[in-house]
Amino acid sequence: MQELLYKKFSSKMYGVCLRYSGNVDDANDLLQEGFIKIFKNLQKFRGEGSFEGWIRRIFVNTSIEHFRKKIKLYNVTEVQENTIEDTDLTALDTMAEKDIIALVNELSPGYKTVFNMHVVEGYSHKEIADILGITEGTSKSQLARAKGVLKKSIEKAINKIS
Amino acid sequence: MQNFKSKLYNYEVEPPGEIWENVHSELNAKKGKVVSMPGLNRRPKIIFYGITAAASLIIIFLISIIFNKSEKHQFENNAPLTKTERQLLNSKKIQDSIALNNKILEGIINSKKDKNLIAEIYENSFNKIKKYITIAGPGGQPVKISPKVATLIESADDEFPPRPVWNKKIEKWKQIMLSSTLSPTSTNLMDIVQTSSSNDTNE
Repeated sequence: MQELLYKKFSSKMYGVCLRYSGNVDDANDLLQEGFIKIFKNLQKFRGEGSFEGWIRRIFVNTSIEHFRKKIKLYNVTEVQENTIEDTDLTALDTMAEKDIIALVNELSPGYKTVFNMHVVEGYSHKEIADILGITEGTSKSQLARAKGVLKKSIEKAINKIS
Repeated sequence: MQNFKSKLYNYEVEPPGEIWENVHSELNAKKGKVVSMPGLNRRPKIIFYGITAAASLIIIFLISIIFNKSEKHQFENNAPLTKTERQLLNSKKIQDSIALNNKILEGIINSKKDKNLIAEIYENSFNKIKKYITIAGPGGQPVKISPKVATLIESADDEFPPRPVWNKKIEKWKQIMLSSTLSPTSTNLMDIVQTSSSNDTNE
């Protein structure tokens, strides 16, 4: 039973771990820690929402917990908050997953965490603020900065290719 | 952006095979540790309660020792003085009294003013403390006398020439004083003098 679950979700969850950790060693630790938590708490899954969503949430929380000390979030001025939607990241859509992951992993732990949580996992800024113990404004400003940095990285990458 | 999200959301990478082995072995190791045996579960509780009770007893014992010590110390502090201590204290009091007496008498003797006037000044002083002079009594005990008497005593020692008739009377009074624990005051001095005069007449 446990092995089946592992085989079904391990590759997807390993992807989550790699996105948050940025390196293979930490990702291995996170995957192991996450699955142990899941198997020990299987009885706590009450069937509300999807099972994969529950597992993913455990992995995200495990990753955040693991890197909490590294994640330093500084509040950026509210003006930058307005630029969130203006940042054009459409170029990312054309890139390969592996390359995108590499670019995301270049971000600082704080930016990367907020970016992953909001853009990929779909957490609201309020949820991010609650989980990370920050204000919504900080979450928004971190995302704006992350997007700004990513945009520059993409431009550099495109220039290199051309 | 949605495309990008789904790309990362569904991003999959095959993990190294050793991870499952680690997970599996860790789960089995933890399972192995949980062996429920009736009676064993109760034992830690009993040990815990035992330790708590022992600790409480030790604390109570220590507190009682500290309390007893402090009480004993307090008792020792309030304990009556020994004979030697009392003697020392008395001798110190006497020495202080004699020193004070000498100082006052010295002041009176060395004064260029009329000694009776000094005595009058002392007598009429508003400060009641100044009305009496402490001198060493026959047994060395502190005795309060009036300045007037102090002047008379000083006169009896011929340092201030008094009238001859007073010399005799004062000599007798001194003898009475030395044989009695009565402390004369300025008011009963005259009675003593009168007693002395009657004795003279009888003689």
